[in-house]
Amino acid sequence: MSRTTAKSKARIKATSSKRAPAHKPDRTVKKAPGRVKVDPITLSVVRGVLETTQREMTLTLEKTARSSVFNLAHDYSTALFNAKPEMILQGQDIPIHLGSLIPAAKAIVRFFGDDIREGDLILHNDPAYGGSHAIDLCMYKPVFYKGTLKYWTVCKGHLTDIGGPVPAGYNPNATEIYGECLRIPPVKIWDRGKPRHDVINMILTNMRARRDQEGDLNALIGACQVGERNLIAMLDKYGVPTIDACVDELLAMADRHMRSLIKSVPDGTYVGTAILEDAGHGFGDFEITATVTIKQDNCHIAIKSPPQIPYFINSYEGNSHSGVYLGLMMFAQLPPPYNEGLYRCVSLDFGPKGTLCNASEPAPHMNCTTTPMETLTDAVRLAFEKAMPSKVAASWGHANGLNIAGWDSRNDEEYVTMVLATIISGAGATPQQDGWHACGPECCFGALTSGDIELLEYSYPIIIHRYSLMTDSGGAGKFRGGSGTAWEVEPLDKEMTFITFGEGRRIPAVGAAGAKSEMIESKVGRLELNRHGQVQIIKTNVIDKLQPGESVTNMNPGGGGYGDPRERPVDKVVWDVKNGLVSIKGAKEDYGVVIKDVLSLEVDKAATARLRAAVAAQ
Amino acid sequence: MINASKRETSMRSKYRLGIDAGGTFTDFVLADQKGNVRLFKALSTPTDPTKAIENGLKLISEELNESPASVISNCDLCINGTTVGLNALIQHKGGKTGLICTAGHEDSIEIRLGHKEDGYRYDPEYPSAVMLVPRYLRRGIRERVISDGSVKTPMHEEDVREACRLFQAEKIEAVAISFVWSVLNPQHERRAAEIVREMLPHVALTVGGELYPQIREYTRTSTAITNAYLGPILKRYVTAVDAYFRALGAKHPVRYFQSNGGLAIGQAMTDRSVYAINSGPASAPQAGLYVCAPFKQKNVITVDMGGTSFDITLTKDSLTNVNKNIDFLRYRIGVPMIQVETLGAGGGSIGWIDTMGILQVGPQSAGSDPGPACYGQGGTEPTVSDANLVLGYLNPDGLLGGRLPLDLEKARKAMRRIADPLGISVERAAYGIYTIVNNNMVNGIRRVSVERGYDPRDFVLVGAGGATAAHITSLAREMGITTVILPKLASGLCAFGQIISDVKYNYMATAPLRLDHDKAYRRITTLFHEIEAEGIKHLKADGFKPTDMVIKRSLDMRYVGQVHECTVEIGNFDISEKTIVKVIDAFHKRHEELYTYSERHNAVEVVNIESTLYGRVVKPKSPKLGKGATLSKAIKGHRKAIFRASGKSERVPVYDGSQLGAGAAIKGPAIIEEVTTTIVIEPGWAAKLDASGSYVITMRK
Repeated sequence: MSRTTAKSKARIKATSSKRAPAHKPDRTVKKAPGRVKVDPITLSVVRGVLETTQREMTLTLEKTARSSVFNLAHDYSTALFNAKPEMILQGQDIPIHLGSLIPAAKAIVRFFGDDIREGDLILHNDPAYGGSHAIDLCMYKPVFYKGTLKYWTVCKGHLTDIGGPVPAGYNPNATEIYGECLRIPPVKIWDRGKPRHDVINMILTNMRARRDQEGDLNALIGACQVGERNLIAMLDKYGVPTIDACVDELLAMADRHMRSLIKSVPDGTYVGTAILEDAGHGFGDFEITATVTIKQDNCHIAIKSPPQIPYFINSYEGNSHSGVYLGLMMFAQLPPPYNEGLYRCVSLDFGPKGTLCNASEPAPHMNCTTTPMETLTDAVRLAFEKAMPSKVAASWGHANGLNIAGWDSRNDEEYVTMVLATIISGAGATPQQDGWHACGPECCFGALTSGDIELLEYSYPIIIHRYSLMTDSGGAGKFRGGSGTAWEVEPLDKEMTFITFGEGRRIPAVGAAGAKSEMIESKVGRLELNRHGQVQIIKTNVIDKLQPGESVTNMNPGGGGYGDPRERPVDKVVWDVKNGLVSIKGAKEDYGVVIKDVLSLEVDKAATARLRAAVAAQ
Repeated sequence: MINASKRETSMRSKYRLGIDAGGTFTDFVLADQKGNVRLFKALSTPTDPTKAIENGLKLISEELNESPASVISNCDLCINGTTVGLNALIQHKGGKTGLICTAGHEDSIEIRLGHKEDGYRYDPEYPSAVMLVPRYLRRGIRERVISDGSVKTPMHEEDVREACRLFQAEKIEAVAISFVWSVLNPQHERRAAEIVREMLPHVALTVGGELYPQIREYTRTSTAITNAYLGPILKRYVTAVDAYFRALGAKHPVRYFQSNGGLAIGQAMTDRSVYAINSGPASAPQAGLYVCAPFKQKNVITVDMGGTSFDITLTKDSLTNVNKNIDFLRYRIGVPMIQVETLGAGGGSIGWIDTMGILQVGPQSAGSDPGPACYGQGGTEPTVSDANLVLGYLNPDGLLGGRLPLDLEKARKAMRRIADPLGISVERAAYGIYTIVNNNMVNGIRRVSVERGYDPRDFVLVGAGGATAAHITSLAREMGITTVILPKLASGLCAFGQIISDVKYNYMATAPLRLDHDKAYRRITTLFHEIEAEGIKHLKADGFKPTDMVIKRSLDMRYVGQVHECTVEIGNFDISEKTIVKVIDAFHKRHEELYTYSERHNAVEVVNIESTLYGRVVKPKSPKLGKGATLSKAIKGHRKAIFRASGKSERVPVYDGSQLGAGAAIKGPAIIEEVTTTIVIEPGWAAKLDASGSYVITMRK
């Protein structure tokens, strides 16, 4: 609480200071020709109503959804659009979902043209229509007011399953999107207020765990309706002209804000390149390059990536929007709320169609929200780091995780789920502080939750033997990267199928401002398969089976560090050692701190000084 | 529950004293057997809370012309433990604590389910939560119970002993024990507790499955740790307070107010310290119901605006919203707490322009130092109080009968800091701050009402706290609420809530069961009887007769496949083939209220059960107000006040509240000045002073 206050006080100081900041936003409220003049007080109130509306939609999803990915893990998002459609409020949910909703909403409107009616509900998941990955189902409700289309309430959530040959959607063996899932192009599931049971049934028939799917569909519909209710009440109260003017002004303000920030970046062209490791496809490592060109208050971001491959890591345009916007926001660090106005001064070029970051049919894509999205984000972040080295935080651990499926003999039901607890990586350190432990992956930026282990064991026939931080997993730096996590599971009484996805098992999270680790193996992800006392380490994406008595541990990488690790104060390193976050070996190799007594953790000061000086001299 | 009129027997002692230690002031509310209620205020003394109590007693003693010993020896005492518990948690100054947990799960409180609060944030200075138990003091024990309650790995007792030896060496003051699935099979936790008691007899021990026997390992462990961490602090506090009052001749043990909205004896407070942490505002609902009782209102929203914060509670049909499993000050707390929605919106909240260029108010506050600009103590930022002064709501001659002088020019000067950049007049800027802070409060009220499936228009609004009354009609208008109850006692309403509250304990059990077979029904019924037997034992020990005990039951239910439950209140009947229909129907209805739909064809399951046991305490008589002066005599003057966004002012009468008597009726626009609060009646509203001591303010048709 005190933090908020201090921070906000700092903000006040900034606004009331006589020295105008370099990128001081233009605060005068503009009067558009023929429009109602916006009253600054009403504007503030309207923004509050929009935020409250989005919050209530999110709450509805959280509390009513069925699949654990949804309700335990918060893998859902909500947003509001105007009639155009422009995103007028982005919920603080999952970053990976929201950038992609911008092109998706536009694709929906293009598809239906003037055939959008009061009482319609539109469902969609197809990446070819701006979707991210097809297991994220999107619901769009056009909100009419006195017969005119005014808004869209939109929500999106990660389902348990989306049909296709492999439970939970992730199929590392798919060579085409047709081998992954049921594709749902924009389709009306309600037509003028009437549910189309035939269409809904057709969709549900193609998915596993029908009961969960039905519940999740209801949750999405409920959230859209809650949003609609609030927006109509807002229009009733303030009237259409006032609200229109306020919404336009909110978009314009976000535009001015981003422009003033971009203007503070020196004009020039900045290039960032990140390596995408080969997680089992056999085509070798790839480079993804982002070229950021700043010209006054405009920003152009061009992406270069290799040709698409017959493996599930291709990213269609919608998903790539999210990747780029996240990299941009990791740099911009603007406070919420967010809307599409932020991106008006940003133009994007994802490279030619048919490439990894601008995939086209029939490229398989299911893993794209983490891989290659996080590498794409890193490339953009690295380009901005070149533009303003002191402002950018280190990369977060990339996701590598598990989906599980099998038979639950307790209730005689099939089960299938993505285990979000397996993708919780460490956060990157910032110029101000150590990275958070266990709040990744990068693509979700702390918005996911992993779910309580008792709830998971109640919902699925599994035993979770371990869910813990990992020694030496945070990237070394003056500020240490956050620790990654290990999650160990054993099936309760029946065979279990597991599917792994992601990467980050060889290349650790990229540090910033000169951070560098010596011990690499402990900082990357991996899978440990334990059969009959034999441990096998797996670093590629596989589908395999596990019997009771065997276990598998998925390990997620730590975050990148910030600054030279030799500058990390010795007492902080010792405290990390005391708490098992850094080993004695790690203290020496990564930080140049020599501990001479294992029990008291007493430091050999002379040896430490020598070691730190020697490395500095290199 | 609190309906005093049904059981009109008199209080057992001559006085009852409620003490509410707040951030700035400690409030004392003293009721006597005749129905007189008096409010006293002393400055809080956070370092030594008994000091403030001593100062308060001095004031009381002077007023009654009776020695403190004489008052206390004839008095029942009700005190909240908020300040000590809350401060220890905010400043991380609890007891040094160790955790004993299932091996492999030592980090669940640091992983925190892998997320950041409030969704994602790009803020590079957003710090992670401070751990109450550092990692090296979290010791994993080889043991495991699985989801059917059976033992997969028996407990290695030597692991527990080794942990205890480390704790001895580290001079640990408190220990929490929390094992996975201990709620289904407590044997490992119990045995570990025996070993800890044997090896570390002087530590405060918390056993997770006993404190919070509900499913969710992270919540249970976090709750147990917080409880253990606060234990030594609460014990010192309770011991000091008890000794202080015993020395003054108190005949009955002091009762402490808890965050569950009821009283407890000191022993319960030290064993269940986590119940102390937000107890201050938790008495508002009881007070709200009490002041609404003369008007037969059982749907009450209370709002309490002080210097820095704004607290909201909601009560529907005499049942108050309760939170379970929430993040409080960044720590996950499972035990039921009265839902108090707290916003950074008070008289000292500052108006500012954000980086987008939008006017905002709070959460930062000028606090009491330097305070609002109009206090003339060096504050320069425009605050809500400054806005209220510019708008003519507050008396420019000063507050508290002139003891706190106000400087209008300084307020206007501060207001220019936002008026100039926005290109508007000082008056419009002031009205802007007023509007925006009201709007923030309205959004907060939605969190306790709309988000919980309630329509605020079905409620009356009760004002508490010193600053609320200037905003109350405006808030009601925004929410569509047409009746406001504003007690003359508003600024001490929480202390009053304590002296009219019952003793209250929560007992829980976990029972993940699908509601489709007779065995499940029998199991639920048996569990209710078991936990209630324990509660009855505790209440008996506290001196309650069975006729003074009340039991309320609830079930946490959901559709099979959901993971979030809704709490459904049920009657005290045995669950059977016949009665289950009622229960399931109540669940469908609640789900519909909350989320716009129900799924009547789908299976329903129970997760947790809970019984709340009350020991009924006889309430003080309600005050009776006499006839006052005629209206014209009660007018102390007129001043210009602004009720419009344009900033245009109008002349309104100002009434002296102490001159008004029962039946006085005032039409808005008007201002009523009580000693500790100023009531603004906007145009379109009318106030009538009721004999029970409250203003009833209604929207004129």
